[in-house]
Order: sequence, then structure tokens, then C-alpha cells
Amino acid sequence: MQLKVETRTPQEGAAVIGLEGEVDVYTSPRLKQEMVDLLNRGLVNLVVDLNAVKYLDSTGLGVLIGGLKRARERDGDLRLICDNMRILRIFEITGLTKIFDIDRSEADALAKLK
Amino acid sequence: MASSDGEAVVELKIPGKPEYVGVARLAILGVASRMRFSYDEVEDIRLAVGEACTTAIERAASAQSPSPEVRVRCMIDPTRLVVEVTDNNVGSATPLEPTAAAESVLEERSLGGVLIRILMDDVQISQESDTAPHVVRMTKYVAGAAR
Repeated sequence: MQLKVETRTPQEGAAVIGLEGEVDVYTSPRLKQEMVDLLNRGLVNLVVDLNAVKYLDSTGLGVLIGGLKRARERDGDLRLICDNMRILRIFEITGLTKIFDIDRSEADALAKLK
Repeated sequence: MASSDGEAVVELKIPGKPEYVGVARLAILGVASRMRFSYDEVEDIRLAVGEACTTAIERAASAQSPSPEVRVRCMIDPTRLVVEVTDNNVGSATPLEPTAAAESVLEERSLGGVLIRILMDDVQISQESDTAPHVVRMTKYVAGAAR
């Protein structure tokens, strides 16, 4: 299974990156590139929707951490959407729930962006 | 599958390239699904083995290994699954063990090693010399089975 990356811009200055499939060492460079491109276009408030992600490994976590750092350097933010227990567990066991803001729905995530 | 006579072995060798890690994950999913593990345990094993393969491949890339390979050896018995992930890379450009500086969760490199240790019951990482293959040996015990 590959990774599908689809970005929408539902509100000004913010982009929602919808991911579907597996985020691993093979596919995560595409997510990284997408985030870098959006940030370079001035879309510094990013929401990454993980609800259709079937598999996420440390490479994918690393790319999300990098995206969060880059967004904050530009006075933006990166929030996650996830209600998949399996994926949430990976954030919990790595302690990354302390670093990421994770919402259950896109509406929540967009409302909480600065 | 394993019999009372001893363990069964399933072995897979993949090119040390990112696009093949998914193949190793599918194979381990097949092996673990046929054992008496819960759904969550099977997923844990899949993630841990995927992480070990990923680390091997990243080591190959940083060592600029010309023909990297990763071997995944599954040793199956009724009480446990042991998986050994071995790379053929020369040197140890990227250590899997978290270094003091890499212990922060913000340090991306160490996450793979952290995950493997959390997800599996027993983990040994060894390399006999700088030029010897790097071996990650991981064990998951079948809950309730006599060890």
C-alpha cells in the first residue's frame, strides 16, 4: 500500500493535509516535501489528518516532528487529527502526545489554530 | 508452523531499499497472524520489525553500501516468536541505541529504537565488530504459554 497525500485550504493561511495509506521510510519523504512546500507558500498553520492512515512508523513521526518545528519557526502551528486508537497509541508510547495537539475532528483542529 | 519437535523458521531477504520495508512487514504480519497473538500484539510485532528494517536501510544509506541487503529471520515456536533482523552494512554509521544526546523524544533518530524496546518483550542489539553485520534480535512471548 502506498501513501496518498491530498491538501485542501479550507481557511486562509491554513492547510489540511489528508493522508491515506502507510507513512513509512519509503513514503514519508512525500509528506515532508508537501509540508515544506506549504510552509514556503506561507501556509504556516497545518493540520495533518491521520484518520485514514493504516501504518505510521518512526520515520513518519520524525517528519511530523520536523513539520511542527518548521511551522513554529514561522509563527505557525501544526495540529493532528486522529481518532484511530492504533495510531494514537504510537504517539502515547513514544511520549509524543506531550508535543502534538491531537484533535478528533477537522472542525476542532481548525477552530484551535491561532 | 511450529511443532512439538522444535521451532519452525521463516526467512526473508530484502534489498536494503525503502520500498522493500513494506514487503518485510507483510511477511511478518503473515507469520505473527498464524500464531496465538492478539490483534494488538501482531500490530506491535509488525511495527517493531518494520522499525528494525528501516534502521538497517538507513544505516546502509549512510554507509553508502553498494548492494545493501536486510535479512529477516523468524523463529517460531508455540511459546514465542523470535525475529532477527540482520544487515550486511559495513560500519555503524547510525547507531540504533539512543545516545545520551538523542534521548530527547524530539530527537527523531532514536524513536525507532525506543519503539522496538517498548513493543517487544526482549530486545538484543549486537555487532561483533565495526565491520560485522548489525543484528537486532527481538522476542515476543505468547501470552499464557509456558516458557
